[in-house]
Amino acid sequence: MTSRQAGRRIGTIAAERRRRSRGGARQAVRRKQEFLSAGERRRLIQLVACGGIFVLLVAVKLLLPGRMAQIDRFLTGPMEQNVDVRAVFSAVGRAFAGESDVGGAARDVYRAVFHPEEPGEVLETAALGELPAAMDTLRAYRDTEKPAAETGGGVQEQLSDGQGRTEAAALAYVLYSDQNLPSNVSLEQAILDFDYCAPLAGALSSNFGYREHPVEGEERFHYGVDLAAETGTEIGCFADGTVTAVGESSSYGRYCIVAHEGGYSTLYAHCSRVTAASGTAVYKGQKIAEVGETGAATGPHLHFELQRNGVYLNPIYYVAAV
Amino acid sequence: MWRLCDLPNRIRVSPGFCLLTAWFALDNGWELLGTVLGAAAVHELGHCLVLWLLSAPINGLKIGIFGAELAADRRGLSYPGELAAVLAGPGANLLCAALLTLLGGTRWAVFSGANLVLCAFNLLPVRPLDGGRALYLLTAWAAGPAEGEKAVRWAGGGASLILAASLVWVMVRTGGSLWLLPAAAGLLAAAGRELWLGGLKNS
Repeated sequence: MTSRQAGRRIGTIAAERRRRSRGGARQAVRRKQEFLSAGERRRLIQLVACGGIFVLLVAVKLLLPGRMAQIDRFLTGPMEQNVDVRAVFSAVGRAFAGESDVGGAARDVYRAVFHPEEPGEVLETAALGELPAAMDTLRAYRDTEKPAAETGGGVQEQLSDGQGRTEAAALAYVLYSDQNLPSNVSLEQAILDFDYCAPLAGALSSNFGYREHPVEGEERFHYGVDLAAETGTEIGCFADGTVTAVGESSSYGRYCIVAHEGGYSTLYAHCSRVTAASGTAVYKGQKIAEVGETGAATGPHLHFELQRNGVYLNPIYYVAAV
Repeated sequence: MWRLCDLPNRIRVSPGFCLLTAWFALDNGWELLGTVLGAAAVHELGHCLVLWLLSAPINGLKIGIFGAELAADRRGLSYPGELAAVLAGPGANLLCAALLTLLGGTRWAVFSGANLVLCAFNLLPVRPLDGGRALYLLTAWAAGPAEGEKAVRWAGGGASLILAASLVWVMVRTGGSLWLLPAAAGLLAAAGRELWLGGLKNS
């Protein structure tokens, strides 16, 4: 055997060994796989699937950043739009306690599931194309006005200028046109045919109209006025009427609604306690709740809304802010 | 009786549950998370109490994305005994809501509401929920295990399909409400298990 032949022979043997060793390794893996329990196999598949998804997402993010941003926007909407779980539980609990009938509870649950954003925080506005220049003026005014957040601290000091506030109300009246307003809002100062009083003597911490939401940070229409006061301050009923709803939601916190004559109704939100029961008759000035900071609030205050047949009115004309 | 050192072996919490809990807390706050977990604890304590009274050993508790599952040795239990153990969970929720309402009126309306919602959800005739098991036990007690299996398969499968479809419809209508997604997925899985796998086993 020549050295060349010997070398070939040695090489063939080495290749054979390598093949055998590779075959042996495969068999070992197969044997190992046979030893994997069902649970281990499932976990392995989960791990591979998760890894695959991760790699795919990273690849999409790196290769198609525009597409990824689109997916991100698509997912953000549903993530933010959720059922108001607290309101659902509260409606069921109150119906069980006999405070509201089954129909009323079903309505509340429907609202909490389908419209988790409270009317006071809705984003929908009447169709508007380009915002008129008046809006910029109003926003500029708002910035110079430096309204306090919904906390009670420092509000009195900042809003001590009564004349300034009157001007603000007048300016708001002038600058908002029907095009800028949500469809269910009117800026008319209605003449009420019944006696009324301010629910409490507090400092005006947020006015009726567009504002930057203190919690969400977005510009939204504020459908009522915020009156800052200490926690536990008595809230008197605006006028004679009947309590139509007492509830709790993640946005309004503890709240109650009172129906008055002439199709008017008032809402008192973020209360620490509601003392009036649903269905009871209440009279002007009667204590119905106490100030708190329940729900989406950054400090103790009363969020007060006034409606006439479902249309929101500016309550500032009827409350006496300190 | 369980010893403290045994607890890690007996209580299993899935990573999916931890993730869901964290998401829920971030979105709804810790107070509401405590309310839901409190109602779930009342539910499981109801089961445990009756199982303990019936001297049925409890082997462990598995907490997953679709809820908690109590592993107990029910072999020695009679039909009425097991039925009592199964209905004790929703019963405890109902009792808790009634007590809270009696003592505080609407003061604890959110917690009593959470108990009532949990009670109603668990009474759905879908396995592995208490309602499904109770339906099986009742029918099996009255007409035999084969009839019980048939009843719970059709009732559970049908109810799961209808509820899953309703939940998907709600999610589409609200443009989100992703909290309903695990429930819808769980119900769809239950419907598949009852109708499809059950049918395959029979064919």
